Amino acid sequence: MMQSSEILQMLRAAFAELFEIDPARVTAATRLNEDLEIDSIDAVDLIDRVRRVIGRKVTPEDFRTVRTVGDLVQAIERLSKG
Amino acid sequence: MQDLNPRNVERLQFFAMTKTISYCWRLFATALCFAVFGLAGLFLGLVVFPLMRLIPGSGAAHRRRVRATFQHAMRAFVEFMRGVGVLTYEFQGAERLGRPGQMILANHPSLIDVCFLIAFTPQATCIVKSALWRNPFTRWPVVAAGYLSNAPTFEMVEGTAAALREGQSVIIFPEGTRTTPGQAMQFYRGAANIAVKAAVAVTPVFVRCDPTTLAKNMPWYQIPPRRVRFTFRVGTDIDVKGFRSAPPPIASRAFNERLLQVFGAELGT
Repeated sequence: MMQSSEILQMLRAAFAELFEIDPARVTAATRLNEDLEIDSIDAVDLIDRVRRVIGRKVTPEDFRTVRTVGDLVQAIERLSKG
Repeated sequence: MQDLNPRNVERLQFFAMTKTISYCWRLFATALCFAVFGLAGLFLGLVVFPLMRLIPGSGAAHRRRVRATFQHAMRAFVEFMRGVGVLTYEFQGAERLGRPGQMILANHPSLIDVCFLIAFTPQATCIVKSALWRNPFTRWPVVAAGYLSNAPTFEMVEGTAAALREGQSVIIFPEGTRTTPGQAMQFYRGAANIAVKAAVAVTPVFVRCDPTTLAKNMPWYQIPPRRVRFTFRVGTDIDVKGFRSAPPPIASRAFNERLLQVFGAELGT
């Protein structure tokens, strides 16, 4: 199981590598679409990364209500528990 | 200045009359084409394809037969449109379409571009707008042919990538919708994203349609003043391997820029 701080670190690394986003811009309140310009096509690649990191099957449905980085952290925390 | 002697006036009147007759005929013929398309869609979807299911064979074999039939039907429809005089067309390089794992990208000036692409691409998978699944004339054919919806979802990206990896050729309009005349082309990144992940080859098809017909937001009866000429030119493959070293989101942005460059250079937009 991953702690939420670990998850945020993982996401910062993923955003930097996949989208060249400065980790300093990634906080819990950051909105994925409006602030980071991550669209539904990018989300596919992001979900793929999450799947590989937590090592279990995830579906787009798991992230349907995610709007901010904080939402994403919670969703991943739930998934890595469940 | 036109010399207004009676003979020239007569000639002008005759010219105006033939133009009116041509216009009326093409209006009627356009309506006829829509009717034929709709009825053929229903007939194929509700009669022909279900009957073909009775032929023994795997799901893949069935889909191959459906697509072959659909290709021939589209070819017949295209020839019908030409036959009744609503359009003329030229298709250059069709022999390079239909290779395994090939992503075929075309600009989209008119509603009927896709008919030509299907007619000239053996065994194509098309990414078409999701509304076609709700249209009674098109829903059964798109289901039977195993086409994919263009809604920018996980299913679309993964489904299209899987089709390419399986060796199918896929037709995509990267603009996602018809070109707005007079505006610069914009490509959704979906096509580029799938290309960097899964395409064996990426082949552009440059579509020209002169004068504009059946563009976005144009009703069917707003027909052009003269017969439309369509030109399809299959371009040389666009190298995608060079983009694969970066992670997909970065690679797909760069490849999308490249695609816009290629289409812009050819079509001047």
